[in-house]
Amino acid sequence: MSLRHLLRAEWTKLRSVNRWVLALAAAAVFTVAFSILASSGGSTDRQPNVAVGPGGKPVADDFHFVHRTLTGDGSIVVRVADQQNSHPQAMAGVMIKNGVTRGSSYVSIAVTPGGSVRMMADFRDVEKRAGTAPRWLRLTRTGAHIATYDSVDGSSWREIGEVDLAALPATAEIGMYVSSPGEIRLERSAGTTSVGERLTTGRATFAEVRVQGSAGSSWTSDDLIQPGLERKGRPGPSGTTEAAGTFILTGTGDIGLNEPPDDTVQIGLFGTLAGLLVLVPLAVVFVTSEYRRGMIRTTFAAAPARTPVLVAKAVVMGGVTFVIGLAAALVSFFVTQPILRAHGFGPPMFPAPSLAEPRVLRAVIGAAVFLTLLSLLGVGAGAVTRRGAPAIAAVITLTLVPMFVGSVVPAAAARTLMLVTPAGGFAMQRAKPATDWLVEPWAMIGPWAGLAVLGTYAAVALLAGGWLMRRRDV
Amino acid sequence: MSTSIEVRDLRKRYGTTTAVDGLSFTVAPGEVTGFVGPNGAGKSTTMRVILGLDAPDTGHAHVGGRPYRAMRRPLAVVGALLDAGAVHPGRRAKDHLLWLAQSNGIPARRVGEVLEEVGLASVARRRAGGFSLGMRQRLGIAAALLGDPPVLMFDEPVNGLDPEGIVWIRGLLRGLAAEGRAVLVSSHLMGELEGTADHLVVVGRGRLLVDTTVGDLLAAASGGRVEVRTTRRTEAMTVLANAGGTVALTDTDALTVTELAAEDVAAALTAAGVPFSQLSPHRATLEEAYMELTRESVEFGAMEVLP
Repeated sequence: MSLRHLLRAEWTKLRSVNRWVLALAAAAVFTVAFSILASSGGSTDRQPNVAVGPGGKPVADDFHFVHRTLTGDGSIVVRVADQQNSHPQAMAGVMIKNGVTRGSSYVSIAVTPGGSVRMMADFRDVEKRAGTAPRWLRLTRTGAHIATYDSVDGSSWREIGEVDLAALPATAEIGMYVSSPGEIRLERSAGTTSVGERLTTGRATFAEVRVQGSAGSSWTSDDLIQPGLERKGRPGPSGTTEAAGTFILTGTGDIGLNEPPDDTVQIGLFGTLAGLLVLVPLAVVFVTSEYRRGMIRTTFAAAPARTPVLVAKAVVMGGVTFVIGLAAALVSFFVTQPILRAHGFGPPMFPAPSLAEPRVLRAVIGAAVFLTLLSLLGVGAGAVTRRGAPAIAAVITLTLVPMFVGSVVPAAAARTLMLVTPAGGFAMQRAKPATDWLVEPWAMIGPWAGLAVLGTYAAVALLAGGWLMRRRDV
Repeated sequence: MSTSIEVRDLRKRYGTTTAVDGLSFTVAPGEVTGFVGPNGAGKSTTMRVILGLDAPDTGHAHVGGRPYRAMRRPLAVVGALLDAGAVHPGRRAKDHLLWLAQSNGIPARRVGEVLEEVGLASVARRRAGGFSLGMRQRLGIAAALLGDPPVLMFDEPVNGLDPEGIVWIRGLLRGLAAEGRAVLVSSHLMGELEGTADHLVVVGRGRLLVDTTVGDLLAAASGGRVEVRTTRRTEAMTVLANAGGTVALTDTDALTVTELAAEDVAAALTAAGVPFSQLSPHRATLEEAYMELTRESVEFGAMEVLP
């Protein structure tokens, strides 16, 4: 009686009951069908005139910029004399940018009231170090190579970071900028999440500004801002005042990736909710039907060491679920993406996801793993209860109820709920980072947290089931 | 094929109920051992312990000198039919046997062989849910034979079988024992084992009552009685009493005589000129012998609780 023999035996058991084979097929069909339904029901009104960054991704690119044209190599040095604490992530610093079109290539270095010196390139952080105003900042360009430095006294410099930006043309805009993100207020109530944003205005003083290289002679002041944002009303005017080489800049907005939290990959995999309603009962019954009919005695008479029996059942049921789940997830993904695009989830806010992106592939595999772990939880629960109904009720309740409760309670409670119930496993199907902005509570935890929660449930159920199986008379 | 079952000082309680209370017996190879007792005597519990399904509180049950749970391919050592209903109704007969064979690395061709052996070859592809109780018994027996084991256990195998099936299973049991296998068959009806069992283990209330051969049990139960049928019963009673016998009237024309051998009865009646139509030594049936035994066990059990 080796595990190999038991695996074959359990596989024969599973495939030789017609109803179970039908249930497996139904699980796949339901998953795809419900994914299509979920994708057809939604629509989006996310800001259409969003800026698009060099990578084709939606970005925020809102700030006040005072600049001169620089052709070829050169550098800028400033002393940020002071910075108002308008927001911890407000920025006051220097930048070289391909024109003043929102979304164009750039490299920047700035200080924040939050206490960091932050270097960015093309909407991503390159480097972050500790430091606040007053502080000297320097940015130099040598061909495509751009390096940034800071200094507390203007004579001894430390390098913050360097980057090669091939997309930057020979003639670019170089200068000072101020940005200050809005404050987000989130309210969750009975199935809706409302997001409120209060704009803030940053203000900073720049002194001892020096530009080297073949630069234009005069400064230009530009306010980069998302169309329509003006109407929201700013707390203060943005602009520049200059007196004796000292500049005071005020600016509103943020710079960085601005992906909407809505996850089209996840919406297109939502059908696993229907699939699990078939797979969990099947996994439970795969174990409990033996107890109901006394067949477990035949099984244990054939395999007196009982742990391998449960292992074999788990491997067979889990393996089959993974294969079915992966097939259903792949089909769901390919079928739902065009539907979602037709419902407004298209570029630029929603670039078409590709399986070649690691996070998309992870979400699709995550859907299969999600179903597999629920299936293993079902096998374990069945081994614990030995009766179908209580085990099915427990697993389904623990998975579905937190989904609904989590969407109507405050964020902190919802997040906790996701971290302590199998419902958190839904997070494995998200391709985007965790966010508090959505109604669905499982979006609040990351995929790995979801895997950990559900994996723990499955492992504990199997261990408890195995322990009881060894101890009990049958 | 000289593997035997050894049960030693077996004790098993379920809550406050003692199912098996210090039971010891051996099932020898080459014999059919009948395991008899009223319902609730502990037969099924003992069989479950032998199969490692229930853990004994004290004592042990070994097969071939080893505990069942230590066996790697148990179906090749012990074949058992416990409950004919223990089949998934949606599974075909051959698939039920196939997974059992696979679990012990038994070649799949054995499935066809045992189905043939128990007469289910024609329904191999039918679902067990549609089987009659008799067909399920046969399927359970096929499962027991799958590993060609030297030890076989059948719990109430006759249940649900038609007369033809009963004849078949008796022949099967005799045949298995003749091949040198140890065969343990339980029943709550001693009569079912008549002509089948060589050895008897009789239990009541979890205890061993008798562990004997069928021949010895019958001889003891017959008790040397002689039955006489005569139309002149009063004269016969007097004659036989005078000859030293103890006589009891069992019918208007029938007497039972004890303490006299059959030939002495015949001689005394002939000498006195009393005619008789029939004279035969009484042969107890297994059922009678068993009733006597279990009645005693019940009385013994009842007396035990008195101070």
